[in-house]
Amino acid sequence: MAPLEDLERDYPIIDSNFRMFCASHGIFTDTDFLLHDLSALEAFARQDYAPDKLEQGIKQMISIIESGQRPWLNGVELLEDSQLNKCTLSTGCEGIDILLQGGLREGHVTELVGPSCSGKTQICLKSASHVARNSLGKVVYFDTGNSFSPKRVAQFLSLLSDPSATQTNKAVERDMSSIVCHSVFDIFTLLDMLRQLMNNLRSQISFQVRMLIIDSLSSLIAPVLGGGGAHGHALMATAGFLLKEIAHESNLCVVVTNHMVAGEAGMLKPALGESWKSIPHVRLLLSGKYSATGTRITILKHPYLVCPSQKKLLMSILQYWHPLRMKASGKSADFVVL
Amino acid sequence: MDVSSLPISASQRGKLISAGYASLSSISSLSPSRLALDLKISENEAVEILKVASGRSGGQDKIESGSCAIVNGAQTAWDMLHEEEYSKCITTSCSNLDEILGGGIHCKEVTEIGGVPGIGKTQLGIQLAVNVQIPADYGGLGGKAVYIDTEGSFMVERVLQIAEACAQDMLEYNALLQRDSQACLVDTQPKSFLDNIFYFRVCTYTEQIAVINYLEKFLSEHTDVKVVIVDSITFHFRQDFEDMALRTRLLSGMALKLMKLAKKFNLAVVLLNQVTTKFKEGSFQLTLALGDSWAHAATNRIILYWNGNERHAFIDKSPSLPSASSPYTVTGRGIRNSTSNCKRVKLM
Repeated sequence: MAPLEDLERDYPIIDSNFRMFCASHGIFTDTDFLLHDLSALEAFARQDYAPDKLEQGIKQMISIIESGQRPWLNGVELLEDSQLNKCTLSTGCEGIDILLQGGLREGHVTELVGPSCSGKTQICLKSASHVARNSLGKVVYFDTGNSFSPKRVAQFLSLLSDPSATQTNKAVERDMSSIVCHSVFDIFTLLDMLRQLMNNLRSQISFQVRMLIIDSLSSLIAPVLGGGGAHGHALMATAGFLLKEIAHESNLCVVVTNHMVAGEAGMLKPALGESWKSIPHVRLLLSGKYSATGTRITILKHPYLVCPSQKKLLMSILQYWHPLRMKASGKSADFVVL
Repeated sequence: MDVSSLPISASQRGKLISAGYASLSSISSLSPSRLALDLKISENEAVEILKVASGRSGGQDKIESGSCAIVNGAQTAWDMLHEEEYSKCITTSCSNLDEILGGGIHCKEVTEIGGVPGIGKTQLGIQLAVNVQIPADYGGLGGKAVYIDTEGSFMVERVLQIAEACAQDMLEYNALLQRDSQACLVDTQPKSFLDNIFYFRVCTYTEQIAVINYLEKFLSEHTDVKVVIVDSITFHFRQDFEDMALRTRLLSGMALKLMKLAKKFNLAVVLLNQVTTKFKEGSFQLTLALGDSWAHAATNRIILYWNGNERHAFIDKSPSLPSASSPYTVTGRGIRNSTSNCKRVKLM
């Protein structure tokens, strides 16, 4: 909330006269202006010796404040926006795509939670390569643990492409050039980068970023969370809201990974605590080590899909030489992805 | 845009907010003397705060130049792939182990190696500290090593022994290829291996954190250091730590700093860890110490275990390597391939 002096630079009507008038009513910043009774202020302005300038000043202040707000939207506009702008991106893992009825949705922040070695980074790499291949857009990957492996991405891409095509190498080069990776090692740098990204996406439309992956957000927040102060929680909430804003405004799909910590009775629970639970739109839980038999993925939270305990999916990535394939076994609710 | 997302101390933040400055835009146009007056701090502190704030709000400006960087300093995956192809690994002197590791210990990554006592973790650490010094002509990195010892298990006599064996191996290799001895001058004095290992001994956890904080400055002065070995990372954090939440915060902060060092100075970080038992699914299992949150801190994880009478290494976590295990032995010359004692071929 800026003091009134700073506004004079851009709006010369807020001159010293106007500021003295406001100061006489105890208004020094735009927050004070909002809190004050505006009709009473206007009445005082009319009684002043230079009523026009003061009234113009008041109107200018009101318009400055209103321009900082978001516009009101109605349900029809939101539905249109959701149908036209926000499509689903396939992750490349058929099991997840079926579970999520299409894949990851643009405009949603999806969280992958799981214990160590459950396949979170692998899903991120696989989705990045799939989106780079199939969509005409870029993928931004923020890596906190130096676990972005270009070798693995190249493997995924070469498995995706048609073996008969002669242009495989060129295609791999083109797709890998659309995946942009940056290493981030503390939460402040991440917030900076996210703001920079948001500004760049707003100003330059040619970037066409489709997916933003942060692997892993919990290792950035863990050093600041707790310790008696609320600052860590504030940073976590700021990061979460910034991600949701980027996802909605620029029609991106945001994927975030989280790890697990010990909870009661020796069970594992997701890290980052209770206040984080409400921030992502979709939460997926991976359980167990990935292996030939598969990993379970459960939906913990979703805005419109039902999450009963039966809708679990067995999924497996890995096998170094085998691509992610799917095999249906038995009843419809269980799928084994090999 | 918010003052709470500036990396400044809590007291400075509190003073800023109570003086009415809640957003970056409100302090960006201030002079240091005005800020110092408002917050009742020294002018130096005010200059520091404004420097941090201007560093942040600089990113708000639009990119005028033609550079199409979505995020400053990012690299495309294609460039990273090429960089990776040219990077070398640190060999462990055991070809089986090198095979499952994809060549050896990779640079720019943090590798955690854990195992029961006596399995050979310190031996592996010392072997890596010696092997990193193998010159580039012999396929090594030709770099120096930093060894942070928390347990006091670093024996100089053993390092000399391993260095002598390494020098002998290099001479043999030289002879095998019948190279011109002048073309590759290798300093075969084992003592020169000792010269290139920087040794830090830490006795408490605060010293450990202090050394890791100091490492950034140290590494920018000694740019030829290619491996940082911490033996072991757990020792000071396991006993007498009452506040578990503090321990988690310290460990995750330390892990991020090490990751940053690995990436920034293009070196390998090797962390040696101990094991503990955990009650899981109705039975006691051996897992690496320091809990679940530390498990995510390393890029790669290797677990050393006994299989019958043989030592084995198992890749537990890696972004690009499949899970595999291989045997190895600890000999007088260091870590080597294990040769089976059995003369007969076993029919499986």
